[in-house]
Amino acid sequence: MASSNLPRRIIKETQRLLSEPAPGISASPSEDNMRYFNVMILGPTQSPYEGGVFKLELFLPEEYPMAAPKVRFLTKIYHPNIDKLGRICLDILKDKWSPALQIRTVLLSIQALLSAPNPDDPLSENIAKHWKTNEAEAVETAKEWTRLYASGA
Amino acid sequence: MVSEDEFDMQDAAAESAEDDFYSGGEEDGFDSDDADVADYEFIDNDSDDSDDLISHRYQQNYTILSEGDIRQRQDDDIMRIATVLSISKVAASILLRYYNWSVSKVHDEWFADEEKVRRAVGLLEEPVVPFPDGREMTCGICFETYPSDRLRAVVCGHAFCNSCWAGYISTAINDGPGCLMLRCPDPSCNAAVGQDMINVLTSNEDSDKYSRYFIRSYIEDNRKTKWCPAPGCDYAVDFIVGSGSYDVICRCAYSFCWNCTEEAHRPVDCGTVAKWILKNSAESENMNWILANSKPCPKCKRPIEKNQGCMHITCTPPCKFEFCWLCLGAWSDHGERTGGFYACNRYETAKQEGVYDEAEKRREMAKNSLERYTHYYERWATNQTSRQKALADLQQMQNVHLEKLSDIQCQPESQLKFIIEAWLQIVECRRVLKWTYSYGYYLPEHEHAKRLFFEYLQGEAESGLERLHQCAEKELQIYLNAEGPSKEFNEFRTKLAGLTSVTRNYFENLVRALENGLSDVDSHGACSRMASSKSLGGGSSRARAGRGKGSTSRSSGPSKNIDEPGHWSCEYCTFANIKPAAICAMCQQRR
Repeated sequence: MASSNLPRRIIKETQRLLSEPAPGISASPSEDNMRYFNVMILGPTQSPYEGGVFKLELFLPEEYPMAAPKVRFLTKIYHPNIDKLGRICLDILKDKWSPALQIRTVLLSIQALLSAPNPDDPLSENIAKHWKTNEAEAVETAKEWTRLYASGA
Repeated sequence: MVSEDEFDMQDAAAESAEDDFYSGGEEDGFDSDDADVADYEFIDNDSDDSDDLISHRYQQNYTILSEGDIRQRQDDDIMRIATVLSISKVAASILLRYYNWSVSKVHDEWFADEEKVRRAVGLLEEPVVPFPDGREMTCGICFETYPSDRLRAVVCGHAFCNSCWAGYISTAINDGPGCLMLRCPDPSCNAAVGQDMINVLTSNEDSDKYSRYFIRSYIEDNRKTKWCPAPGCDYAVDFIVGSGSYDVICRCAYSFCWNCTEEAHRPVDCGTVAKWILKNSAESENMNWILANSKPCPKCKRPIEKNQGCMHITCTPPCKFEFCWLCLGAWSDHGERTGGFYACNRYETAKQEGVYDEAEKRREMAKNSLERYTHYYERWATNQTSRQKALADLQQMQNVHLEKLSDIQCQPESQLKFIIEAWLQIVECRRVLKWTYSYGYYLPEHEHAKRLFFEYLQGEAESGLERLHQCAEKELQIYLNAEGPSKEFNEFRTKLAGLTSVTRNYFENLVRALENGLSDVDSHGACSRMASSKSLGGGSSRARAGRGKGSTSRSSGPSKNIDEPGHWSCEYCTFANIKPAAICAMCQQRR
């Protein structure tokens, strides 16, 4: 795990992520690139994603922590703030990023986004429309997708 | 394009009217005393500041600001807020920035609810957490441990190490103008980070950037100010909103419309300009052309232009459909019996039955409308080009010729300002003329009387301008090429100055008449009185005064229309009006 030019902050964050993981979240750095993390988030209880295991990738750019980490869903998910490429619409990943935030806080925020979709600030226009016009049906679709794409592994 | 010929033709057509209209400019009018008086008048009026030559033709409802002016104003505003609110200058500038540099808004909000304002803007009065004085602490960004003298915090007390602060600020500055609203890096804290902190921790380069954003914000976030849109111009304009004309002439000589920041476009309104510009750039014209000049392949529907050959069309691969251009039916049904390769009996028969009328008519209309548009666009563009040329000539005049002329004619340059005035007027006239073509394009087709009148006014404007241009360019050349001072130079001065003011007056009235939608032309085609001239700006009253002088002597000279029965000659523009009219049909001055 030793990497001479890796900032101390990243090493410390990684150590803490591995030693005291947040509930329902796991993040481990890739063998060959310490800035690349394989992430798993469990679908929060009482959300349409309950029972699903969602894979994400997280990358710390050169400027980190001055710039936000890049995060993307790898598992297909039906959510108004996540598009079909897995990109996430979340303020702290963009203009609200602060260097005092961490990988842990980012992943917790994503977990919270699964519990509380925000169709008023959508990334995926169609899903957001579905969510706003017929929430019950949209939730059913989200459950269906969770069963289809996020239950195996 | 408008050819020279066309101008000549218009000149010729308007010859007789023109003689009357502009006769004031001919040599026969002024005696030398009067001319001298007129000279001094021009000079007196213009001696204040040559930059303002044209701008004071309109009411001054705006101020041009240099970078120095802007910094001065910004400083003054910050100082005022700092004094009145008893806060630091740094806090005052954060407040002003937050309320878009409106001093009164800051006052209102602050005195209504200071606490609320402090919270929203991030101006805390006391720390949220204690600063670790004399202790060691771990920086929340790099996770390194530092003694307190290498940590720093804004009012809130959230401490981070110096190098993380520097990185945080530098990243923000390089991200754009958002750095002016920088907050404490702690995600739960909104304490504002002011310029004091930024100045201590940034490189020179970043500091310059920050200060540029700071000054830009003062102009761009302020409702009353805008940058001059001319490329490379650094001046800004402070405009008193709701005060007459939107036209602004920057110190860089670019004139633009405050409202839409397109170049100045009187007499056409902002909406029409937007439509016109869109039309000039839009695909819609391409569509029109395609519609007018092509037919869709009956099978694959791709548009096909027939530019040569017979009626037997074979669509390009992969379609390869063979059809008849006239009736659009399959070629397999054609041959000698339908009339061969160059005719189609089926088409002729069907046409007689009226089958093709609809589609044909649409194509025909599209073609006409395209031709109409092209007509106006070409003239618009030609005037644009002429204006650029005139601008270049004006610059050449200012930078090179004026000095030369001053040497040859032994006249101080201040006495030659009338030439610059003439060229400025030419540039302005080209601008107006240009926009009259967009005006003409949108003038409803069915208002025949208005169209006729409009075209007459436009034609007159064109020949008037040609005359001025001719005088300022060709006749001036004689004095430029002369060996020494010419006796006639004073006469030339009188003539050019006269032409300038007559043309200016004509164009100002033209603009006003068009802005009023030619409301004086009623639907029966009679032209009643034009708009009242009460609203004439200060500049044109000056022009009037100048010409008044001339006309006194002019009326004593020979003038062919003055005693014509049933007519009266306008003392301003010399137009021969019919007796019952109390207002000149040409320049709208009272008798």
